[in-house]
Amino acid sequence: MRRAPGRDWTERVLGGPVLWAGLAALTLFAVAPFIWVLLASFKTRAELYATPIVYLPASLSLANYVDAWTSKLTPFSRFFANSLWVSSVTMVATTAVSILAGYALARFRFAGRQTFLLIFLATQMFPAVLLIAPLLSQWHALGLIDTYQALIYSNFSFTVPFTVWMLVGYFESIPKELEESAMLDGCNRFGALCRVVLPLAAPGVAATAIFAFVASWSELLFAITFTSQTEMRTLSAGLLYMVGQYEIQWGQLSAGVIISTVPVAVLFTYLQRHLIQGLSAGAVKG
Amino acid sequence: MANGATVAAPLARTLISRRTRELVTGYLYLVPVVVVLGATVLFPILKAMRMSLYNHVLIKPQEYRYVGLANYVRLLHDEVFWQSLWNSCLWVFGSVSFQFLGGFAGALLLHRSFRGRILVRTITLLPWIIPGVVVALVWEFIYQPNYGLLNDILSRAGLMTERVAWLSSPALAMPAVIATNVWRGVPFFAIMLLAGLQAIPTELYEAARVDGASVVQRFTHVTLPLLRPIIVVATATRIVWTFNYADLIFVMTGGGPANATQITSTYTLLQAYSNLDFGYAATLSVVLLLIMLAFTVFYLRVTRGLESVS
Repeated sequence: MRRAPGRDWTERVLGGPVLWAGLAALTLFAVAPFIWVLLASFKTRAELYATPIVYLPASLSLANYVDAWTSKLTPFSRFFANSLWVSSVTMVATTAVSILAGYALARFRFAGRQTFLLIFLATQMFPAVLLIAPLLSQWHALGLIDTYQALIYSNFSFTVPFTVWMLVGYFESIPKELEESAMLDGCNRFGALCRVVLPLAAPGVAATAIFAFVASWSELLFAITFTSQTEMRTLSAGLLYMVGQYEIQWGQLSAGVIISTVPVAVLFTYLQRHLIQGLSAGAVKG
Repeated sequence: MANGATVAAPLARTLISRRTRELVTGYLYLVPVVVVLGATVLFPILKAMRMSLYNHVLIKPQEYRYVGLANYVRLLHDEVFWQSLWNSCLWVFGSVSFQFLGGFAGALLLHRSFRGRILVRTITLLPWIIPGVVVALVWEFIYQPNYGLLNDILSRAGLMTERVAWLSSPALAMPAVIATNVWRGVPFFAIMLLAGLQAIPTELYEAARVDGASVVQRFTHVTLPLLRPIIVVATATRIVWTFNYADLIFVMTGGGPANATQITSTYTLLQAYSNLDFGYAATLSVVLLLIMLAFTVFYLRVTRGLESVS
């Protein structure tokens, strides 16, 4: 096949130098701010505030991490435990509720099914700030301020609509015949769901569960509004609280930033492939 | 649930009762989700509508009373609200357009096959998945006037003689927070569009190539038309999400300096969180909700139109 030399040249440039330069720029763009903070988390006070700027810390000292983790004023060990608890409970409860709802919407053809689906889609478009004032007064009336429950319940407002939406898609992709034969063998609906559908949908369910965890882990506005005591703060709220102190301790703060980032980064690496499929299938918040 | 009883029953009755039972089971499975979202979304929204009709400042309980539409009248005369709407437009337009351009470029790059592609893809997605408060703090650190990275790089490159206080200058604060949001949102467009690119059959490109189409022609005649649906979905989702998103600005500038970065969602947050003025915050929430509903209806129309075309 003969091609014009000009076109060949364009393709070679686009596939060669342009591709590599672009990829280098893209990676640098994404990663440079993290590297800067990672370096800062190892720096001493003198290095942090030096002029001209010191780029590399003299040693890989973990002092900032130890300080942040054990600090009395901003105890990151406590914040970490709070985040872990709130996110885990949110994840488990969200998944349980969403499995039932997602399965019902995928399998039963009842009146109002379309409306339900539309509501789940629309709820994902609601701003969290809209819920702050009414939820605060609601939790206040129920005496739930400064409790884990208030945070967990509030997190449902954004995790559940998304996970239901994702799970409907996963369940619909599993052939109905498998459950029907299980039910002929004497399984009831719930048994068929647990023994036949869930094992098949396990990767999708795991991905949605991790999504719920990551989204709760990152949540900030509910966490700062519905808690006031230091020992009830999550990592996000704790980081903001640290900024609110008399002087920003960038060393400890950088350590705190890294501590908050690593778990979600690790989980997301696993989640990636599944989430991309779900994303292109529907809308997403976050 | 044992099926012993139904086995003996006549076939017709079994069919009817099975269908009813199925329906009841279906609704039963929805009970938890209805309870959960009822308590955390539906009820609070109705409550916000009611709260917007009251003078309800948490720290002034003696002034609590029904005021009708007074909060809405106050809203119409509130200059900061109108400014926040305009700022929201700048924030959404600036963020989404640059996120789209950067994300599209990123998707085209990541679509090529090369060694280490999965690693690069994971790294470039990082800004999108980390907590918003982390993004805000990382960039606040970079923008810091005295020991921030940005001022240092610019002065080393000879582009700047005087240190710039990015986040406390009324003219620069908005571009600075938008740039941060662009950094955060580029990966979103990149993966959405990458998923779209991967769904395009390679035969189409081969056919276009055989017909003598150049790289640019293949892009404008094959890639763009086939990506259109996903572009519309991704952009609309992003517009809504950016309009609602308050975390970044709230942490970085708190809406300042002098409301230069005050968008409608941070203004609502400010009224609820800092001023504890629940009545007015609820009024702002209702208005936000109406704007979002209008946009959602518009969006559903557009996507329906797309479906009927394809």
